[in-house]
Amino acid sequence: MAVAIRIERLSVDFSGKAVLRDASLEIPKGGPTFLLGRSGSGKTTLLRAINRLNECFPACRTSGRVVVNTADGAMEAYAPDTAVEVLRRRVGMVFQTPNVLPLSIARNICMPLEATQGMRGAEAEARMEEALREAQLWSEVRDRLRDPAVALSGGQQQRLCLARALALRPDILLLDEPTASLDFKAAQMVEELLGELRSRYTLIVVSHGLSQARRLAEYLFVLHDGGRVEELGKDVFRDKDALLTVLGDLL
Amino acid sequence: MVKRGQGAESALIGFSWLAALFVPTVLCAMVGFLVVRAWPSWGAPLFFGDTPALAALTGRAPVFDGIWPACVGTLSLIGLASLIAIPLGVATGVFLAEYAGRRTRMAFSLAVDLLAGVPSIVVGLFGFALILLLRRTFAPDANTGLLLSALCLAVLALPYLINATRLTLETLPAGLRLAGFGLGLTRWQVVSRLLLPASLRGVSGGVVLAVARAAEDTAAILLTGVVANAGMPGSLTGKYEALPFHIYYLAAEYQTPAELAQAFGSALVLLCLTGTLFVVARVFQRRLHRTWSGMEVAAWR
Repeated sequence: MAVAIRIERLSVDFSGKAVLRDASLEIPKGGPTFLLGRSGSGKTTLLRAINRLNECFPACRTSGRVVVNTADGAMEAYAPDTAVEVLRRRVGMVFQTPNVLPLSIARNICMPLEATQGMRGAEAEARMEEALREAQLWSEVRDRLRDPAVALSGGQQQRLCLARALALRPDILLLDEPTASLDFKAAQMVEELLGELRSRYTLIVVSHGLSQARRLAEYLFVLHDGGRVEELGKDVFRDKDALLTVLGDLL
Repeated sequence: MVKRGQGAESALIGFSWLAALFVPTVLCAMVGFLVVRAWPSWGAPLFFGDTPALAALTGRAPVFDGIWPACVGTLSLIGLASLIAIPLGVATGVFLAEYAGRRTRMAFSLAVDLLAGVPSIVVGLFGFALILLLRRTFAPDANTGLLLSALCLAVLALPYLINATRLTLETLPAGLRLAGFGLGLTRWQVVSRLLLPASLRGVSGGVVLAVARAAEDTAAILLTGVVANAGMPGSLTGKYEALPFHIYYLAAEYQTPAELAQAFGSALVLLCLTGTLFVVARVFQRRLHRTWSGMEVAAWR
């Protein structure tokens, strides 16, 4: 089993308050790998520690090791010589609430391409179309690419965020409860999409939904309070009763 | 009890309505008064005196009795002061909102607030003292003039720009920053490509306030280079005329009713000039937003 991300003794605290303590796990390539845990157990913090997004919050301190295996080789996320922007381009992220940029649909994808890779014009447009097709959004927006992205429905916005991340051609996608703010139909669509993307990307999903995890997960980790990470075998998490027995007192 | 509560609420609503109506009423009264008093002097002679308009506009003939040189002087002042203050103010606002640590931010914010409280005459005196210092040290020929006045006005306008930029940036949703960083944008790219364009409306509000400050101030320019009859501004270091000083001068020293009417005319021109600048700033801001966002319709606010 090839490893996509190796996390060793990872501790994160905000303003001196420990959110993660000595968490260690190995996330396999492919997936999806689901992270489950009680609210406040540090699932999102763990996800954000992979692409160093916790650093955008004030008074955050991280210790430990995170090694990300990308197409260009292994990257030590917290090594002093690691360019955090490059790491974040290799490890894309989709947030719980769709956070489209206050730009047109097209610019939501083309602006990051232009800023991070200097890609413009026809090349950027081709990449945009490819990403929108991959996120199954192209047919819905092809005629209104210059409309504001905020005018899209919640589900469409979340797929646009996914397309925006995919356009940068990451190796790994972090998804923080990607269906939590969506209605049933939109959530179902995003779930189907994840099912298709699993063959091309390493997907790591934070979720509250046990049934969603049972349906989609290839690997599953449970975060206990205090930072202990437990991996559940497929035979456990695919079986509803067995999963509930393991997680009953936790979730 | 309920009735009493309802009565108090109705009184409060009534008071709110009255308070809201107060501003447009005062504005209309002031503009109406100005128009009525300026009307007798309104026309080409107000601007150009006896000089033919075309000759005055093309600079082929000097204007003696008109306010055209003062209009050009004020526009030059606004332009120069904006050139100095806008980049400096916006950059300081960005630094305070995005780069400064907590303590630095507190210290700088205090300095900005103190600067906002400095009376313009004090800034004018400072400018004048600066010239005296320059004359006694390494620039014996230094003199008051257009550039010095613009510098003083820029100092007066800076707090508006800094505060507008800083507050607008600080009130942007946190998700916008996170999305930018999550996409691998550098801090500078997040600021320049996302945050600043998203705060265009607030920043342009600050620019409008700053321009208004530069356009109306009399005290600061009084000591730093404005004179009653200088003609068209010839150089950055030369003396110049300006509308607010012209109004002040005529109102204080008028000899005939016609001169007083010209003062009112000048006041109306100054009002129109700043009004036009506000509209231009708004149009410019909308166009910039449309270009940045790539939208056909600027629907996002």
